[in-house]
Amino acid sequence: MAPPARYCVPGERLCSTEEATAGSGTYTRHGFIFSSLAGCLEKRSEDSGLPVVSVVRDAESQLLPDVGAVVTCKVCSINSRFAKVHILYVGSTPLKSTFRGTIRREDIRATEKDKVEVYKSFRPGDIVLAKVISLGDAQSNYLLSTAENELGVVVARSEAGVQMVPISWCEMQCPRTHTKDFRKVARVQPQFLQT
Amino acid sequence: MAAPELLSDEGYRADGRRPAELRKIRARMGVFAQADGSAYIEQGNTKALAVVYGPHEMRGSRSKALPDRALVNCQYSVATFGTSERRRRPRGDRQTGELALQLQQTFEAAILTQLHPRSQIDIYVQILQADGGNYCAGVNAATLAVMDAGIPMRDYVCACSAGLAEDTPLADLSSPEEAAGGPRLVLALLPASGQIALLQLSARLHQERLETVLEAAGQACRALHAVLDRVVRERLREVTALLGD
Repeated sequence: MAPPARYCVPGERLCSTEEATAGSGTYTRHGFIFSSLAGCLEKRSEDSGLPVVSVVRDAESQLLPDVGAVVTCKVCSINSRFAKVHILYVGSTPLKSTFRGTIRREDIRATEKDKVEVYKSFRPGDIVLAKVISLGDAQSNYLLSTAENELGVVVARSEAGVQMVPISWCEMQCPRTHTKDFRKVARVQPQFLQT
Repeated sequence: MAAPELLSDEGYRADGRRPAELRKIRARMGVFAQADGSAYIEQGNTKALAVVYGPHEMRGSRSKALPDRALVNCQYSVATFGTSERRRRPRGDRQTGELALQLQQTFEAAILTQLHPRSQIDIYVQILQADGGNYCAGVNAATLAVMDAGIPMRDYVCACSAGLAEDTPLADLSSPEEAAGGPRLVLALLPASGQIALLQLSARLHQERLETVLEAAGQACRALHAVLDRVVRERLREVTALLGD
């Protein structure tokens, strides 16, 4: 069993900014680093000079999607101009409550953006890998984009209710009825595929 | 008007406390498993429960979302069985609405809201038994609940009330002492930096007495901080032991 770590509480002064840099769970004020969470103190030494001081909690608190993060979402409705999705995972951590996101028509593909049809790229119920491009403004939700080869639909069900198999970057086929459906398919890296 | 003696000749209050003595405090964190953070506190006979959800996406009107920080949404309610006479409306009247707004202002000063833009943090305070210092107990319970939820805070927020009996300042007023009609000062303090998050005064207080009463309230808040700190550290040890680290 590891020796008991040092516990800190919000408002506790940890050290000065000359001895270390502030990491997560801390804030700086008047040249000193204070803790902002109730948890265990962690000191990591960086190669570039000062060690990084951070406070970690055992139970992970809510993670918010940040710009540039790859998220897993489920399409809930589509429109001729955009698709509305529920963001379920950020990276590999599940979210406790879902966030709403929007994939605009021009952000679905990188090439031939004006020839895109949303109905031929996503359908309600698809699981999609997307990247956050904006936190949105006062009126809109998170803005997502699938304009990369590794982003797009990963799981889709055909009208027969069976999970479809991807055959190209724009088509998926149902294994039972052999009908082909159009989707913007993600090229998942081989190491993430489970057989 | 013959008011009941707040301070006896020997210097004891009606419930047997010394003027600067706080009531007995019992607190627990992590009372509910479903909420992100929760806490329960008893200060004498006043019992308060606080539950925190968040930070999560804005519910309701998205236009109220702030682009650079989180919105702190507070609700303060007193249970119908909480007072000596059954309350008609647990919340929705003007007084609880004002206390909810004060809670919001207090916690916006303490929570680092810049870390979670365009999201919402909900704090619900329920007073189960009201025996003086209701708002203060609510603030203390909410501080523990916010810490339990893992929301980054600048410091603890410790709140305490103070009053005056002739020339002696009293700390942590109970319900009969509040009803006596004297001045009542409520102070919410961030102990490490000594910054005041909220200062409220009811009835009248002479300007020359303000310093002493404020000092008494400050001392009481710092004593409260020591108690809450013990509770939080105990909880940290408990959680680490449970998770087998």
